[in-house]
Amino acid sequence: MAAPHPEYLRFTTHRSLTHRLVLSTLTGRPVHISQIRSSSPTQTGLAPHEISFLRLLESITNGSSIQISYTGTTLTYSPGLITGSVEGLGASGGVVKCILPETIRRGVSWFLIPLCILAPFSKAPVNVRFEGDGVITSATETGDISVDSVRTAILPLYEKFGILSSKLELRVLQRSCAGPGGKGGGGIVELRFGSQVRLPKTVHMNRSPGRVRRIRGVAYSTGVSASNNARMIHTARGILNPLVNDIHVAAQYDQAPLVSSRDKSDPGAKKRTGIGFGLCLVAESSVDGVLYSADVVAPSSGGVTPEDIGKQCAYQLLEIISQGGCVTRVGAATVLTLMAMGSEDVGRLRLGRDVIGTEDVVGLGRDLKMFGASNWGLRDVDEDDSTDIIVSVKGTGVGNIGKKIA
Amino acid sequence: TRRLHGQRRSYRTADLAKLIYDQALTPSEVLKRWRGEVDEEEGDNEGSDDEETFFKKSSAEKADEHYEDRAIPILDYDQLEAKWSVDDNIESLRRRFTTATLLNEGKS
Repeated sequence: MAAPHPEYLRFTTHRSLTHRLVLSTLTGRPVHISQIRSSSPTQTGLAPHEISFLRLLESITNGSSIQISYTGTTLTYSPGLITGSVEGLGASGGVVKCILPETIRRGVSWFLIPLCILAPFSKAPVNVRFEGDGVITSATETGDISVDSVRTAILPLYEKFGILSSKLELRVLQRSCAGPGGKGGGGIVELRFGSQVRLPKTVHMNRSPGRVRRIRGVAYSTGVSASNNARMIHTARGILNPLVNDIHVAAQYDQAPLVSSRDKSDPGAKKRTGIGFGLCLVAESSVDGVLYSADVVAPSSGGVTPEDIGKQCAYQLLEIISQGGCVTRVGAATVLTLMAMGSEDVGRLRLGRDVIGTEDVVGLGRDLKMFGASNWGLRDVDEDDSTDIIVSVKGTGVGNIGKKIA
Repeated sequence: TRRLHGQRRSYRTADLAKLIYDQALTPSEVLKRWRGEVDEEEGDNEGSDDEETFFKKSSAEKADEHYEDRAIPILDYDQLEAKWSVDDNIESLRRRFTTATLLNEGKS
């Protein structure tokens, strides 16, 4: 089926690695990525989380081939079909297991967000259970959002594309913050993405983003006193209450997860890890589907009070709301990619100037073009006095290759 | 509209549309130019010794080395606290909330 000499799209560095691999899988174009941390003396080549992501890609696709050089600085990836969780192809009981090693410093959302972009284009439902000593469900210092934000601020974005949110489920079976030194955790998370489409619907989110009418959120304390939750919520409310009355933050208290202590003399010994606390806030607009989220977590080294976390999270949320637009920085990759994969119609998305003006979004536009999508059209919003920008995205009509063949 | 740097207006949407696909620039350079933070003719032609420039890393390489993808931006929370403690800033943000009185919409 594959051409004898596939033409590789060439990239360098580990920048946007997951997203490039996702685009490669969606468009069926093989990629060659070189200079991955090639000049770093201590951490040369692919990091543990990146290796784990490649394994995950392999387990939800059929026919992918991955080659990594000895030093790990060069990677070639030829994508296969996205099969999802098919019995006999890695899944058992309809669920693919993804075991993350304890060396991982990234939150599980780092895996979930790109996985969700692939999932609508799968042949079968994508059910993945993340477990092992490296699953961090909280936000992380490495800049990943919490699973709560994925569930309440990312998954609802799929509804606009005709992907049924009733068939999407993200279950947190065991919570965990980052372990000592920011490494590892003992969480268990299960994603069930049961809505597959032939082509995502063309989205028009070019109108006013509306006004924030309520704030929801989750405060989590794992292995530390539950009173931390109340203290984080109290401080955040103090800042946000003058602007919104309707604030409801759930408090989630859990025991720290038990993981193997890796003590050779006593293989059965267990220890607790992933202790910490954090806060996730989501502001919901009067316009359906416009969500602004903020995440702050206590660093694994400690030394901050729950009041600090509550305050920082509230200020982060205000900052994100003030950036405006219909989609935030966190959701931009998801929405813009799905728009580019849609039918050959022009969709429009209103983004804040400071959202499109980030390296991530600029890089995203370039990567999409590399993979064959059309250039974005940009223009100012002229209906009101905001400084937002309307991005016009023409779909490539790629859609679901699996559904086309089968 | 305001004019910055004498002749060149910056931060225009049309400029970004052009700059975004200019492969000669890194994304961070694109944004700097868009915001008008650098001059057009800025280059890296300072090195004189051949041997030294040979081993010197380009600025793009240096930046990439420490770069890791982040979903949550790195923010200066002290600065944010100062910003959102000012009543005027809060009041201008209030327009983005349903608690705002719509009657004042025309005035602001």
